[in-house]
Amino acid sequence: MFEFKLTAPGQGSAPSGAEEQLYDLIVLGGGPAGLTAAIYAGRARLKTLVLTGYLPGGQPANTDVVENFPAFPDGVSGPELAQRLQQHAQRFGARLELDEAVGVDFSARPFVIRTPKATYQGKTVIIAAGAVPRRLGVSGEERFFGRGVSSCATCGGFFYRDKEVVVVGGGDSALAEGLFLTRFARLVTIIHRRDELRATKIYRERALAHPKIRFLLSTVVEEILGDQTVSGVRVRNVKTGQVSTIQADGVFVYVGMQPQTELFAGQLALDAQGYIISDRRQRTSVPGVFVAGDVQDPLYRQIVVAAGTGAIAAMEAEKFLGEYPDVSV
Amino acid sequence: MPLLSQEIATQVREYLADLTSPVRLVMFTQEFECEFCAETRQLVEEVAQLSDQVSAEIYNFVTDRQKADELGIDKIPAIAVLGAQDYGVRFYGIPAGYEFSSLIQAIRTVSAGWPELLSPEGVRRVSQITSPVHIQVFVTPTCPYCPQAVVLAHQMAVASPMVRADMVEATEFPHLALKYQVMGVPRTVINEKIHIEGAAPESMVLAKLEEALAGSKA
Repeated sequence: MFEFKLTAPGQGSAPSGAEEQLYDLIVLGGGPAGLTAAIYAGRARLKTLVLTGYLPGGQPANTDVVENFPAFPDGVSGPELAQRLQQHAQRFGARLELDEAVGVDFSARPFVIRTPKATYQGKTVIIAAGAVPRRLGVSGEERFFGRGVSSCATCGGFFYRDKEVVVVGGGDSALAEGLFLTRFARLVTIIHRRDELRATKIYRERALAHPKIRFLLSTVVEEILGDQTVSGVRVRNVKTGQVSTIQADGVFVYVGMQPQTELFAGQLALDAQGYIISDRRQRTSVPGVFVAGDVQDPLYRQIVVAAGTGAIAAMEAEKFLGEYPDVSV
Repeated sequence: MPLLSQEIATQVREYLADLTSPVRLVMFTQEFECEFCAETRQLVEEVAQLSDQVSAEIYNFVTDRQKADELGIDKIPAIAVLGAQDYGVRFYGIPAGYEFSSLIQAIRTVSAGWPELLSPEGVRRVSQITSPVHIQVFVTPTCPYCPQAVVLAHQMAVASPMVRADMVEATEFPHLALKYQVMGVPRTVINEKIHIEGAAPESMVLAKLEEALAGSKA
């Protein structure tokens, strides 16, 4: 029943020497977009570094089952998909580092990327930093975040065995994670501000039919309540104005995403919501800097789309290096 | 039926071939063995077979209470990895899955008596610590990034007599997972109050460690 794995401890192979730190391509982000870019770049024989962050794998690593990635008719576990993407990127020579950019300089050539471990130089950069769940912005959320309020059902679901939980949101993520939580929780209450769910029909059907799931529609969460831990939420019906309290030990928030672009503000053109602006060739406002995945996608946010834009970005980076071979000198 | 496959056993034997100083794996179980106690005991015994320098000692958590207290063991299954001295390297819960790598690395580091994977700067900063530090790293066996956090904590324990570091397998100690609000792994808890999410780099863990110590003096 147990498996035993022996891998190198990988305590950051902190490379030295300026030359080793110069890459044809540096990919910021270790999700499906960044890793697909690394697969393509590796096959194009570009010297490629992927800074994956400290919890790599992107959003799939926190997803129970992915049912719509092509060629997996029975679905594939999110962590397994993330793992396979990493192996695939490494197979073609990309170097993956559990490290995160804390500073970038796109005015320098080659571009400069600083992390807590090292400073790297990239002739080209692909930003695939993804998006993180948006917060509700209500009282109690900050205080209880990580202590009963979460945006990751697969991370925390286990700790809510036989408890009552609330899921906020009406999209695919909210319903999929609500369905996942029924494995542990006694009761899952899905709270959505509109009177209709946004989620695709397959999730709507499953959730509506599930005996452990109940819906509170046209309802907003106004406060997360509790003393040491979460005890419930105060909600208001937007049609009647009626305020009530729902008992809950955990609150899972799925109300949309926020692109991770603070680091690039002032250096790249961003839209009003903070997404990086790019053209059909995944080019940003700085030549040589490309973008892929959810960090530039407010509309679709699909693994297969992220992977697709990653492939485009890598092919464009290769082309850029061909056109400007002297880019770094 | 051995727990370790022939292939893994061969790799471990090679990986431990150059140990020069003895390492004792002191394991605590009890008569009616806890969940995974039997497997943890068997694992320790199998690993000890793979190197002349590694030995296994099995104690009863109930009847060998004095020994447990001496080593600060407060829950089982527990493994203390002891070398020329007790560096404070502990495993609570079975080091299975990816965590098996952490156990083998701990054996190597404790045998050497030197934190070979810490940077010189890291060694310098950790050895300057003058008050006690307790690092607990919460993991699950299926988490591929957890060994990085565990190995780093154990390196720091070997680097300083003030630091002790535990791997804690979250699913075997749900009350601790609850107490320390473990909602994802790895989660590192320093002196009960500072938390780190994810497999953070050495410099960040060092900064958090110093933050924990600054807080305790205030």
